[in-house]
Amino acid sequence: MSNDLSADPVPLSRGETRGEPRQRVRGPARGLLARLDRHFFALAVLPSFLAVFLVTVLPFLAGLGLSFSSISSTHDGIFPLTLHNYSRIAGDDQAKTVLRNTFEYAGAAVLLEVVLGVLLAVLLSQKSRIMPGFRVVYLLPLTAASVVAATSWGALLNTSQGWINYWLGLLHLGQPNWLASTKLAMPSVVITELWSGVPVVALLVLAALLGAPQDPIEAAMVDGATAWQRFRYVTLPAVRPVIALAALLRVVAAFQQFALFQILTGGGPGLSTTVLNYYVYKQAFAFNNIGYGAALATLMVGLMAIPLGLLFAASRRGRA
Amino acid sequence: MTATDRGTAAVPAVAAARRRRGRRATQRSLAGSIVLWVLLGLGAVFILLPLVWMLSTAFKQPDDAFAVPPHWLSKPTGANFSELLTGEFRKYVLNSLLVSVVTTVIALAFGIPAGYAFARTRIRGGKFIQAWFVLAYVIPPVIFIIPLYIIYQHAHLLDSYTGLVLAYETGILPFTVWLMRAYMSEVPRELDEAAWIDGCSKLGALWRVVLPTVLPGITTVGLMVGLSAWGEYFGAVILTGPKTQTAPVAVNSYVGLLSSDWSKLAAAGVVVIVPALLATVFVQRGFARGLSFGAVKQ
Repeated sequence: MSNDLSADPVPLSRGETRGEPRQRVRGPARGLLARLDRHFFALAVLPSFLAVFLVTVLPFLAGLGLSFSSISSTHDGIFPLTLHNYSRIAGDDQAKTVLRNTFEYAGAAVLLEVVLGVLLAVLLSQKSRIMPGFRVVYLLPLTAASVVAATSWGALLNTSQGWINYWLGLLHLGQPNWLASTKLAMPSVVITELWSGVPVVALLVLAALLGAPQDPIEAAMVDGATAWQRFRYVTLPAVRPVIALAALLRVVAAFQQFALFQILTGGGPGLSTTVLNYYVYKQAFAFNNIGYGAALATLMVGLMAIPLGLLFAASRRGRA
Repeated sequence: MTATDRGTAAVPAVAAARRRRGRRATQRSLAGSIVLWVLLGLGAVFILLPLVWMLSTAFKQPDDAFAVPPHWLSKPTGANFSELLTGEFRKYVLNSLLVSVVTTVIALAFGIPAGYAFARTRIRGGKFIQAWFVLAYVIPPVIFIIPLYIIYQHAHLLDSYTGLVLAYETGILPFTVWLMRAYMSEVPRELDEAAWIDGCSKLGALWRVVLPTVLPGITTVGLMVGLSAWGEYFGAVILTGPKTQTAPVAVNSYVGLLSSDWSKLAAAGVVVIVPALLATVFVQRGFARGLSFGAVKQ
């Protein structure tokens, strides 16, 4: 069988390997329609293939190209192409701070989201008549646009007029400057990230828990395993790929977070909440250093490859 | 719960184990119950807090919105909403609606046939193509947005609907193809083959047999995609202007350094969140399943 895009690929059913003889299914026999039909699968992929090429591959390559250029408000045109943007990153102290912020933010957010999300999933998987209502409550943040999360948390955390400080005041616990202090700004943004992230992890893991076979758990019970042992050695391994996938989705989300930083803190105070994605935005669109921004964005793609590769491998493991 | 594990209580060993524990395995001790509901309650408060703030503030007089201690809905008013929906904001909501509907329709029109083809055949380089589709979803949008911005400047596509929809397809189209492939893989291929034998063309088999079967999946994917376009902020901030500004960008315009208008801000937030909320509750069963599809399923 030839497996060329233009040739007629013989459909392979799942589990069938190449080279096994297989009966060709007859479609309509003659004419233009029949010819089109024979190449149906290639034709079906073609529009998407071209569209994806147009809107992702080309811009991606263009972005790479721009990262060697010095387009900015003072310099028009992309030539000359040199490595100067990359050497500039190496000497940019701000970029070092930004990188540290990025990993602190993504690390703290994803770790807490996974731990709290798994805990919440276990709680939500308990049987009770009112549990469906609770599940709907935890579904709500999934519907909220990032702007909604950012603006309402911004109001709640407002130092003088926010509800949170009002209640803390009633309890005589002081009224911290949540978003305006170098110490508290980053943790505050992490908390708002948790608001949208923990439910995503929880609902994914919950779906896996509810779909997990009960037999091994019963068997462990017969063998006298405690509830903790059943969870640790039976349930957890069964849902591990889903946890890895959820972590993967949240790493992507944390690296791409923009609305929270722009609306809550604007990257401040100082540089304390400037993460890479926001720094790229600032360089490229606020300071007009397009070339430098593109180089930073390229660095960001490279940095994401590491955690994503590991998590992707973990989500693929333990599957039939 | 599969059919096979429902009857385990009938197995003597299991019944004995349950008796040894002195109660049915699914029951919780009183302490366990208290811990469970306290934790769930605290979590629910955390989740509901910003939504309660938004909903209550949206119905307040502008001055009451800042009151400390909070005024609990003294003199509730619908004025914020009527002002928003008769003013500029209505245009921004319609912009969001237009862009998210067009983005979704294009993504499905392209993604359904491609997903079907990937589910049913192996084409040369198919593995690479699919790997790129996953990558395109994962790669930070900023790397696409920077060159698009430069290209749009020269092609006069800044502040245009076309430009925004194209930018949204960078992440959304690969995601749609990837999920559609997962749903289509679940349809037994005997169905298509039966249709072919009955004289259907491949397109006919897709249209008459496969599509009706995966309609729930299409609905779920369509809504997920529509929601992400509806609430998208980053690309909209950079690529829209006065004409095509979307609702999420407009929401933030009620936050100023000097003159924040919290009651308007909250009302605008409610307008953005309510359609999304209704849509999500409508497909909540498919939602988590759709999220985990494609990566966990082969």
